[in-house]
Amino acid sequence: MSATTAPPPAPAPAPQTQAPRIGGWIGAATSTDHKRIGLNMAACSFVFFLAGGAFALLMRTQLAQPNMQFVSDDTYNQLFTMHGSTMIYLFVTPMAIALAMYLVPLQIGASAVAAPRFALAGFWTWLSGGLVMQSGWLVGDGAGRAGWFSYTPLSNGTNTPGVGQDLWTIGVILAATGMTVMAGCITATIARRRAPGMSLLRMPVFTWTELVSMLMVVGSFPVLILAMALLYLDRHGGHIYSGFNGSIDYQDLFWFFGHPVVYVMFFPYLGAAAEAIATSSRKRWFGYVPFVGSIMMFAALSMAVWSHHMFTTGGVTNQYFAFTSTLLVVPAGIEYFDAVATMIGGSLVLRASMLFGIAFFVQFLIGGLSGIFIASPVLDYHAEDSYIIVAHFHYTLFAGSVFGFFAGVYHWFPKVTGAHLREGLGKLHLALLMIGTNVTFFPMFFLGEYGMSRRISRYSTHPGWGTTNLIETIGAGVIALAILAFLANVAVSLRRRIPAGEDPWEGHTLEWATSSPPPAYNFVRPLPPIHSYAPLLDLRHEAEDRAREAAGGGVGA
Amino acid sequence: MRGGAIPLVAWGTILLVLYIVHAIWNGRTVPTIATGFAVLAIYGFGACVWILGRDTLRRGPPAARSEAEAWPSASLGAVMAGLSFACILFGVVWSNFLVYFGGAMLLLSLGRLGVEVRSEYASKRHAQEEMSGR
Amino acid sequence: MRVSAVPAALRAAGVDTRHEYQHLFSIYVPIAIGVFAAIVLAMGFALAKYTRRSPEQAARWHEHNPLEGGYAALLTLVVVFLLYLTFTAEHRVDTVANQQQPAVTINVTAAKWEWTFAYPAYGITHRSGTVGSEPLVVPTGEPVRVNLSSLDVIHAFWIPYIRDKHDAIPGSTQVITLSFPRAGTFQGECAEFCGLRHSDMLFNVRAVSPAQFSGWARSGGKAPLP
Repeated sequence: MSATTAPPPAPAPAPQTQAPRIGGWIGAATSTDHKRIGLNMAACSFVFFLAGGAFALLMRTQLAQPNMQFVSDDTYNQLFTMHGSTMIYLFVTPMAIALAMYLVPLQIGASAVAAPRFALAGFWTWLSGGLVMQSGWLVGDGAGRAGWFSYTPLSNGTNTPGVGQDLWTIGVILAATGMTVMAGCITATIARRRAPGMSLLRMPVFTWTELVSMLMVVGSFPVLILAMALLYLDRHGGHIYSGFNGSIDYQDLFWFFGHPVVYVMFFPYLGAAAEAIATSSRKRWFGYVPFVGSIMMFAALSMAVWSHHMFTTGGVTNQYFAFTSTLLVVPAGIEYFDAVATMIGGSLVLRASMLFGIAFFVQFLIGGLSGIFIASPVLDYHAEDSYIIVAHFHYTLFAGSVFGFFAGVYHWFPKVTGAHLREGLGKLHLALLMIGTNVTFFPMFFLGEYGMSRRISRYSTHPGWGTTNLIETIGAGVIALAILAFLANVAVSLRRRIPAGEDPWEGHTLEWATSSPPPAYNFVRPLPPIHSYAPLLDLRHEAEDRAREAAGGGVGA
Repeated sequence: MRGGAIPLVAWGTILLVLYIVHAIWNGRTVPTIATGFAVLAIYGFGACVWILGRDTLRRGPPAARSEAEAWPSASLGAVMAGLSFACILFGVVWSNFLVYFGGAMLLLSLGRLGVEVRSEYASKRHAQEEMSGR
Repeated sequence: MRVSAVPAALRAAGVDTRHEYQHLFSIYVPIAIGVFAAIVLAMGFALAKYTRRSPEQAARWHEHNPLEGGYAALLTLVVVFLLYLTFTAEHRVDTVANQQQPAVTINVTAAKWEWTFAYPAYGITHRSGTVGSEPLVVPTGEPVRVNLSSLDVIHAFWIPYIRDKHDAIPGSTQVITLSFPRAGTFQGECAEFCGLRHSDMLFNVRAVSPAQFSGWARSGGKAPLP
């Protein structure tokens, strides 16, 4: 008799949310249900992503050929400032928080997020910040245009006067404040609301990646808020950032936030890719304890490397930051070891979430390795502020994190909506996005090596630059097509639903032990016993072992 | 809730080591203050978690909870508080009127939050009495 | 002829930053490519071998701490190696170079959106003009001291050919020492976003032999360059 267990019977359709709800828009806006807050933030972040992408397409149009003037230089400067600011403050970082807000309480068996009113207030503060920042487009002299890091003295009242830059500064303060408050709530949830039996070393991999990310937010975002508040005062008569020391101090304060934020924009998507890969390999994540240790180290190191953005200033001790930055090789290597070892020996299912997860690991690696390159000051003296840097951070943040984001979307969409995303469209989305991403960003390494500076609105004729830039612009168009394929997938999947049930992927973690979508307060029946970081996989293994023993006496696998 | 403060204290300690090395090797004032803030923020958070539950520094899985818990389902006060704070800062750019308006709205929203929290405590007490009465 | 123990990049000719960059590049990049290939091959192997298996065949092992510990130790050795290379190169580029006796000292001042090149020893001051009409003239093969500063916002002085760039920050002077290994005309540009016409803040560099440089400088910068 076959040793395979019979598939579980198809579950009943998910019940409607049980608690009485205020209906409609008011209900959705004021709900303290962590899932609603998370979804609201995710939806708003995605809209900001589309806006930031539109800015990029305009930029890439301008750069497609030498000496083009598709937009004015001043407009281009606003576009690249707002592209970076929108993607960082209003998409990748808040989306990480939104994923945490939705998924972490489910993964740790909690019924709610801690301090939900703070979380809700934080969301509205963040959203207001995003709108305030974007409102600069509507004012006379335009939006913020001193770059997303807004270095002084360029960003002060003398060099970039005008209300658009003020609105940008206030927008950043509001967005960062909202995100810090929400990060505090998630940290408190992990600290105090885990289900019975869920010790720290039984928390899922994704939850750990969100925990270290939220710790970085709490430790570094307040420094950004201070830097921006002082910048606002500086712009309006205060002599805060004066002279050489003022410029270096601004950069120290900014990058003290600016480096950890890029890891906040990395770890959760690493966690999402890890969950997708482990589930689709039918093996729990390999090397859990070294992984937890390495992400704690990785996150701590990320708080100690910030002045590698300042190697060319002559105002910092380059060796300390080269040391801490190069050390990042060790925890990164452990994570890659764990990813490969999870796949080896498994039973792999090549669904869209798995493929996006693998693409995340492979493409992020290019970003990470180029990061070790620029961690060397002598190499950075050439690469800094060139297209090498642009290539590096687009590989980590776009080719990496955005692919990890989509791995998470394809993995958790059935849980959130109760419906499957289409696999065919998903694979089309992946293929287009991989082609577009690599065609757009890989040639940038060469452009930078041969002397193309970043943040320039025009370039003159150099051998090969026009052709390379044109290829990159075409790649950006392919990325846009990929995003359209994704939006089409979402639309089709929601209109002509394929019901997903509670646990379509045979997941490992607790969010799969409740209906899709989960009811208010998350779990209506008792949780399964929690003995590891993959409690549902444990149950499945126990059932398999019992079936095997019943079938013919314990000949193990 | 066993163990909850451990990651905070552990991570704060790793930061402290890195920052002591930083202070010796790089030694600039402003970043030393920023690093000091980060360590205090993380340790401070851990201290708050510990104050709310002395077992949060002990290792091991959390035990089951049996008391009634009250959770809100909506909060108009929180939304208003977030928006009022934004209104104040937006007013710093545009007009004093918005600052005062935002300030007033913030006070109103804090009042509303007080009402919400009080009613939450009342319903929790009621539920606990029902549970113990049963 | 005695083989000198002093590396080629240092011998009397100034620290050759292009050489230092290319030397590190030639070690860092192959290691990176090797690591990338190893991961891609490992994942490719996993995809090839472990797809289309039945679910019960999935292994249950999920840790091997001694193996990971050994791997971490190996990675640490790689880090130590890379740090040794980078610290020694940086020492040469930043410290040793500035200790050498320069053949000429040039004060380079950035201001929106052009460069001023002043040669105090010869009384020459040239403005590059936005989109660089007057070049920076330098001798080949000798240490060139540059005192880099800015009058308004942060700019960055970048000559891609010599693989070196440093910021010009108002309120300070950054002292760097460059060396040009061969004669020619090279492009220079501002590499720190500085406002509206940042894209136009370009300049040219004319590297000429020390004798030609002498002739040019002594003429007050008026003699035509070869």
